[in-house]
Amino acid sequence: MTTPRRSGPSPALVLLISAVATAAVFLGILVLQVPAGTPAADYPSQISDQLANVWASFFPPVATTEQGRRTHDLYTLVFIIAAFVFILVEGLIVFAVVRYRRKPTDTELPPQIHGNNALEILWTAIPTAIVALLFVLSWQTLNVVDAREASPGEVRIQATAARFQWTFQYISSDDNQTVVYDQLTPEMVVPAGRTVHLALYSPDVIHAFYVPQFLFKRDVVPGKLNVFDFNVDPAMVPPGPEGATFKGQCAELCGAQHWAMQFTVRALEPKEFDAWLQAQIDAQSAKPSPAASGAPTGVVLELSAKEIAYDKTTLEAPADEPFAIKFSNNDAGVTHNVAIRDASGTEAFTGEIFPGVDSRTYAVPALPAGSYTFLCTVHPNMTGTLTVK
Amino acid sequence: MTADSQALTPVEHSPVSGLAHDARGGISNPVLGMLLFLVSEVMFFAGLFAAYFNVRAAAPEWPPAGYQDFLHVLPLAGPATAILVLSSFTCQFAVWAIRRDDRAGFVRNLTVTLALGIVFLIIQGTDYIVLWTEGLTLDSGIYGTTFYTMTGFHGAHVLGGVIMLSVVLYRGMVGQFSARHHDAVEAASLYWHFVDVVWIALFTTLYLLPGTQGGG
Amino acid sequence: MATTALDHAAPRYRTRSALYDWLTTTDHKKIGIMYVINSFIFFFIGGLLALGVRAELAQPGLQFMDESTYNQLFTMHASAMLFLFVIPMLAGFGNYAVPLMIGAPDMAFPRINALSFWMLPLGGILICSGFLVGGGAAQSGWTEYPPLSGAAFNPGSGTDLWLMAVTLIGTSSILGAVNFIATIFKMRAPGMTLFRMPIMVWTMLVTSVLVLLATPVLTSGLMMLFIDRNYGGGFFDPASGGVVVLWQNIFWFYSHPAVYIMILPAMGIISEVLPVFSRKPLFGYKAFIFATAAIGALGFSVWAHHMFTTGQVFLPFFSLMTFLIAVPTGVKMFNWIATMYKGQLTFQTPLIYSLGFLTMFLIGGINGAFHAAVPVDFALHDTYYVVAHIHYVLFGGSVFAVFAGIFYWFPKMTGRMLNETLGKVQFVLLFIGFNLTFFPMHQLGLSGMPRRIADYSSSAGWTDLNLVATIGGFIIAIGLLPFLFNVFISLRNGKPAGDDPWEANTLEWATTSPPPPYNFDHLPEIRSERPVFDARHGAATGH
Repeated sequence: MTTPRRSGPSPALVLLISAVATAAVFLGILVLQVPAGTPAADYPSQISDQLANVWASFFPPVATTEQGRRTHDLYTLVFIIAAFVFILVEGLIVFAVVRYRRKPTDTELPPQIHGNNALEILWTAIPTAIVALLFVLSWQTLNVVDAREASPGEVRIQATAARFQWTFQYISSDDNQTVVYDQLTPEMVVPAGRTVHLALYSPDVIHAFYVPQFLFKRDVVPGKLNVFDFNVDPAMVPPGPEGATFKGQCAELCGAQHWAMQFTVRALEPKEFDAWLQAQIDAQSAKPSPAASGAPTGVVLELSAKEIAYDKTTLEAPADEPFAIKFSNNDAGVTHNVAIRDASGTEAFTGEIFPGVDSRTYAVPALPAGSYTFLCTVHPNMTGTLTVK
Repeated sequence: MTADSQALTPVEHSPVSGLAHDARGGISNPVLGMLLFLVSEVMFFAGLFAAYFNVRAAAPEWPPAGYQDFLHVLPLAGPATAILVLSSFTCQFAVWAIRRDDRAGFVRNLTVTLALGIVFLIIQGTDYIVLWTEGLTLDSGIYGTTFYTMTGFHGAHVLGGVIMLSVVLYRGMVGQFSARHHDAVEAASLYWHFVDVVWIALFTTLYLLPGTQGGG
Repeated sequence: MATTALDHAAPRYRTRSALYDWLTTTDHKKIGIMYVINSFIFFFIGGLLALGVRAELAQPGLQFMDESTYNQLFTMHASAMLFLFVIPMLAGFGNYAVPLMIGAPDMAFPRINALSFWMLPLGGILICSGFLVGGGAAQSGWTEYPPLSGAAFNPGSGTDLWLMAVTLIGTSSILGAVNFIATIFKMRAPGMTLFRMPIMVWTMLVTSVLVLLATPVLTSGLMMLFIDRNYGGGFFDPASGGVVVLWQNIFWFYSHPAVYIMILPAMGIISEVLPVFSRKPLFGYKAFIFATAAIGALGFSVWAHHMFTTGQVFLPFFSLMTFLIAVPTGVKMFNWIATMYKGQLTFQTPLIYSLGFLTMFLIGGINGAFHAAVPVDFALHDTYYVVAHIHYVLFGGSVFAVFAGIFYWFPKMTGRMLNETLGKVQFVLLFIGFNLTFFPMHQLGLSGMPRRIADYSSSAGWTDLNLVATIGGFIIAIGLLPFLFNVFISLRNGKPAGDDPWEANTLEWATTSPPPPYNFDHLPEIRSERPVFDARHGAATGH
C-alpha cells in the first residue's frame, strides 16, 4: 500500500484564489469601462449600471412582439431552473473536491460504497419530473408562438430572401392575393397591434428570417412556403412616422455574403402604417417608367457592382455643383443602388434600387465639400468613400 | 500479482477461442463479423428507402406525370427476381452440402449460384439499357434518380457478392473447406441472402406498390 | 507499483525495421497509438483553422481573407475536428484499451483493424486537398445543406472531395464498430462476464452500436448529394420533385447519434479515472450501464431538434425526447459525484482533467436544455449560443476527457510518466482560454449574432466580446505547447512507470508497461469489475 504523497496546495485554497482572481479581473474590467473623467462619487452607480448590463446579457433582448414576450418568459423560467441545477451540482462537485481530499493520515481505503438503489431512483425520478414540467410549459408557449388564425385587419406580406438581399411584397387581403406593393429597400414596414401574416419565399437556397428582438426565426426553404404570424406590441412603438426599428438578418448560411443579408423591421402605429402603405402605392403608380438616364449634368462618375461589391472604393466629386453617377448593376437578379451619407450619417442622396443586369444614371444634387460615404442600401457591406472638394 | 495465477489458462477457455470455430459454442467470429456488417448495410439501404418514401409522399402523383409507363414486371424485372431468389436456394444448398462434408455438392451448388447471380446482373444491365434509351435516365426528375440510385447500389452489392462467391468457389475447388472449417462459406452465404432480401424489398417497392394520384 | 518480468520463454518479435513494423502492424496497441497520433495531427489542423476564424472575427471588417475563404475555414474546422479528431481519437483509445481491459490478446479482426486506421490519413488528405482545387474546399458548413452545397451554387470539386472523404472515414468507423462489438462479445477472458466489464468497454460497445446503425445512413445521404451534384440527380431539388429538407433529416439521423459517439467513450474515460483517484469503486455501476444504453437509444429519437425552425418537423415529439435525454445524462453526473463522495482524492493530472470535464460538461448540458424548449430554440438556433453549447460539450467535455485519458494511459502505452507540473500548467491555460473563448458566445448568441458570418457591423455591439473570444482562442493554442513539450521530454526522460503507477482497478494494469504484443503473460482472477484492485487487496470485493 503506498503512502499518500506529500500534499500540494489544498483544493480549497486553489478554488478560493481562482474565484477571487476572477472576480478581481472582472471588476477591474468594469472599472476600466467607466468613461474617463467620471467623478469618483459616480463610480458605484456606473459599476452597478454595468453589472445590470452584464445580468441582462444572460437574457435575450426585451421582446417587441406578443409572441416574443411569451418566449422571453419561457426562457426566464428555464434559466431559473438551469441556474438552480448548476448551483446545486457544481456545489456538490466543489464540496467533494474540497472535503474529500486524501490526507497523509489516510492509509486505509475509504468505505467501498458500490451504489444505492434508492438514490438512483430519486435522481432519476426528480429530473424526469422537472423535464416533463419544462416540456409541458414549452409546449404551451409554442402553441401561442406558432398560432395562426386569420384575423380582421391582418396584414399579409411575403418576404423574398435571395442571395443576398431581402425584399418584401405587400399582398392584398382578398382571395386574389395580388402584390399591391413591392418594397425593394430591405425594410419591412408593419403596423403595431395588428397581426402580420408573413410568408417566406426563396428562389435559390435556404435562408432564415431572424429578428433578435422578436426572439424568433424561421427558415426560408426553397420549394416550401413557410408562414407565421406576429403582432408587434404597440407599447414598443412611439407615435409618429418614424416608429420603432428592429434589426434583422439572415440566419442560415447561404453563401459568401450571408453575413451581409441584413434587413430592418419598422413598426408604426396603425394609422401611420396605413398612410405609409397608401403613399407607397400612390408613388408606385405615379412613377414614370424608368428612363435610361436623364441628361447628365456636370461631372459623370462611373461605378459598377458585381458579386455584391462595388468596383471602386473611392470616388471624387466637385463641391457645390450637381453631378451624376452612372451606375451599372452587373449582378443578375440582385438589387443594388447607390446612396450617399454625410459624415454625421444623414442620408444626402438615395438612388433608385433596381435589379441587375441594368444601369441607371443618378442625378446627384450639389453637396458641400467634405468626406462622404457611398453605400448600397440593400447590402451594407458595399461601401466606399466619396471625397467632395 | 497473486501467486495462484501463474498457470496458463486451459485451452478451452483461452482468450483466443473466439477465433475460427468457437470451442465454447456460439457462432464464430467471422460469421458474427459478417452479421454485424450486414446490419450496417441494411441501414445504408434504409436511408435510400427513407429518401424514396419521403419524395414519393411529397409528390402530387406517383409515378410523376410522363413516367407512368416505364417500370414493368415483365419481361425483365420479374424473371430477374425469380432468378435471384432461386440463387439463394442454391446457395443454401451449398452451405448444407459443406456442413455435411459433401465437397462436390458444395462446388456444384455454388457454381449454379454464381451463374444465376451473373445472369441477374446481365438482366439488370439489359433493363437499364432499355429504360435509358426509352427516356428514363438519372436526371429524369426524382423518379429516375431514385430508381437508378436504389437499383444501382443494389446491383453494385450483387457484383460484390459475385466476386465474394467466386473467391469462395475457388477456395472450395482447391479443397480449403471441410465440415469443420468453412466459415467463409457461411459468411458469404449470409451476404448473398441479404442481397436477395434487399432485392425483394426493392422489387416490391419500385415495381409492385400501387401508384398515387393527386396525393402528397 | 509492481513490475512483471516477462516469462523467459515469451516469444520475441523481430521485424525488419521499426517503420516497417508500424506500417504493417495489426497489433491493436500500435494501431490505437497511431489513431491517437493521427487524431492529434488533425486536432492541430482543425485548431489552426479555428485560429483563422477567430483572427478574422476579432474586429469588424474583413482584414485577412475574403468571405469564401472564411466559409472554407469554419467548414473544414468542424469537419476536421469531428470526423478526423474526436471520433477517431476515442476509437483509438477504445482500440488500445478494450482488448486489454477484457483480457484478450487482440481485437477480433486485427487486419480489418489496420485497414480501419489507414483509411483515416487517406480520408484526411482527401478532405484537405479541397483547399488546392479551383473554388476551394467545402464551404457550406460541415452540415453541407443543399441547395447551397449543390452543383449550382458550389460547382468546384471541394465539396465532392469532402463527400468522398467523409464516406471513406465513415466506412473506417463502421468497420471499427464491427470489430469492437465482435471483440467484446467473443474475446473476453474467463470470469469477465458482461457485468464485470469496465465502463469504458460498455461505452465503447454502445458507441459501436450507434456507429453501426447511424453511419451508414449518413453514407446513403452522401451518395445522394454526390449524385445530385454530379449526375443530375434530383433528391434535394424541388424543381425535379425532390425535397430540400430530406438532406437535413438524413444528415441529422446520423449526426445526432454522432454526438453521442463523441461523448460516450469520453464518459467512459471519466468513469475509469474517477474511481481510481477516489480510491472507491464507481458508484452505481449498473445504473451507469443502463444510463449509457438509454442515451444510445434515445439518441436516435431526437434528430429533428436540429430542424425546429424548418417548419417541417413534428415539434412536440422531438422536444419531449430531447428533454428526456437529459435524465440519463444527469444520472451519470450524480453517480460520478457520488463516486468522489467520501473518497480520498489525489489531485493528479487525470483527475484534474476529469474535474474540468465535470464542470464544463455540466454547463454544456444545461445550455443544451434551453434548446429543447422549442420557442427558445426559435430565438437561439443558428446563433452563437449554439456554438457555445457545442464547444462546451465537445471541447469542455470530450477534449478534456481525452487529455484525462492521455495522462492516465500514457504510462501504460509508453512505460513512462508524463510530467505532472507541465500537465497542470497546460490545464490552467486550457481552462482559462477555453472559458474566455466560449463563455461570451452565450451573450453573443442571446443578443442576436448569427453563426457562420464572415463579418459583422461595428454598430452591432458584438466587437468587444469577439475580441475576448479571439484572445481566449490564442490562449488555448499557447496552452497546447506545454503538452507537446511534455510528450517530447517524457518519451525520452519520463519517470519509468512500472505496471501500475496509479494503483488502478482494471486489467490493463496487470501487465507490463508497455504490454507485450500478446498482452498478458497471466491474468489475475476476475470476480468483479476491479480485478486488479481485488488482486492488490487480496480479496474479491464484488459481484
